[in-house]
Amino acid sequence: MTNNSIGMGEQDRTERDKFEGELKRIIKASDESGILLRVIGSLAFQMHCPTYGYLQEAMGRAYTDIDFAAYRKQTKEIKELMAGLGYTENREVFIVSEGERSIFDRSEVGLHVDVFYEKLDFCHAIYWAGRLEVDAPTIPLAELLLEKMQIVQINEKDIIDTIMLLMEHPLGDIDNETINIKRVAELCSTDWGLWRTTTMNLDKVRKLAQGYEQLKPEQKAHIESQVASAMERIDQEPKSLAWRLRSRVGDRVKWYKDVDEVD
Amino acid sequence: MTKLVRDLMHPGVLTCRPNALLGQVAVLLTQHKVHALIVSDPEGRPLGIISDYDLLAGEWLSIDDESLSTMRHLTAHDLMSYPVDTIDANMSIKEAAHTLIEKDVSRLLVTENGKPVGVISTTDFVASIARDEEPKRETVADVMSDAMLVCRGKTPIISAARTLIQAGWRSVLVVDAKGKHLGVVSGRDLMRFVENGVDESLTVRDVMHQAFIKNHHHRLIVIDEEDPDAFPLGVISSFDIVAEMARPGSIWQS
Repeated sequence: MTNNSIGMGEQDRTERDKFEGELKRIIKASDESGILLRVIGSLAFQMHCPTYGYLQEAMGRAYTDIDFAAYRKQTKEIKELMAGLGYTENREVFIVSEGERSIFDRSEVGLHVDVFYEKLDFCHAIYWAGRLEVDAPTIPLAELLLEKMQIVQINEKDIIDTIMLLMEHPLGDIDNETINIKRVAELCSTDWGLWRTTTMNLDKVRKLAQGYEQLKPEQKAHIESQVASAMERIDQEPKSLAWRLRSRVGDRVKWYKDVDEVD
Repeated sequence: MTKLVRDLMHPGVLTCRPNALLGQVAVLLTQHKVHALIVSDPEGRPLGIISDYDLLAGEWLSIDDESLSTMRHLTAHDLMSYPVDTIDANMSIKEAAHTLIEKDVSRLLVTENGKPVGVISTTDFVASIARDEEPKRETVADVMSDAMLVCRGKTPIISAARTLIQAGWRSVLVVDAKGKHLGVVSGRDLMRFVENGVDESLTVRDVMHQAFIKNHHHRLIVIDEEDPDAFPLGVISSFDIVAEMARPGSIWQS
């Protein structure tokens, strides 16, 4: 785990309310406009974990921005929506990312919104084609898990979010309030690199969870059990021929893309 | 009379050393015009099998100087599949076909009294479907990316199998009346007929697949991006890539 302080530190209730309130305002406006915006990042974990969301604050996990997943076909509508909500677009990001990402700022209140179109493409690409309709107001739980598990240089904030998710939701083969581990296993079975990073990080979550004094012994045991079940399901999924070929080369060739810090 | 593996197999086993570099394996495959080699120890015991498909990793993963350097130092032992799937020379070809399908492999090492005596591959089974056609082992014609074997969707599969064997190719491109590609038929698509016999009413349209290397089909159809419905530009196969790796002066040989 890398020692990076972004997304970690004390954050008072007023500041947290600012992010949570603004998120609700954007979701309401996008729903009314028929725009598919789905929350990702720390706020998505908070929204989808009503029972264990308190762990973020207890473990010193701070909000830094508001992140969304969206479809590229709605880029124009999203830009108009954000402008109407008082945001200014950083157009350079959209151009440099070749239309894969937009950043909108409301600098007077210290808020910025990140929108990722079609996929989250950092260490590994996680696509959302056909998946944004599955859950609301966040991306599905399987993709939330993968959002964190695809980070090679995983940080404490990512570990905390993953712990919350595993505490709150069971694993299963469906999406409804369940981490669709079948989908995770299927994606990992065709992409050896994603498999390598995901299993490496699940193991880190399992080990690091044992060190948090905020977790009770039975909660630590539950994390251990959830990770073991996830690993077993991923392991059981038949692997593609390309996966098997790539596995023979293993770590001798880098299996991920280098990225800057992401919240 | 039941046909046996020994009747259909290619006698003799081509081998390479476990420490052969990928570039050296590519040269051996190209020189011998074969798609796979048995990797064996100094005593001749088979350790694994390395095919043109395995060598695709060399091009696939060499994306910068560092990875190219790593891949150039990999050996046959590093990339081979193991253990080698074997079958006794006295087994029936139906059993051999079943094994090939079940294990999702393209060839089996044939043994007699535990010793390797030959290889039986998908091509040999296609020959058995084509009836009385001897497989041409001297050519690997479908490595030629700008020449293609083509048929219409209504072609009976027995005709397709016969043509594949006569021409010494491993795949036939299926097109519609206007030349637009519909799919590809290769030996793997025909394997089930070795076990169950050929339904003569079936056409290539019934058995063809879309050409994706990730699905273990070793060739891709190259289409004109600006006119995707036109007759394809060519086909690129795993062996094309191996031939490039074996070319004197390529990054794998320098």
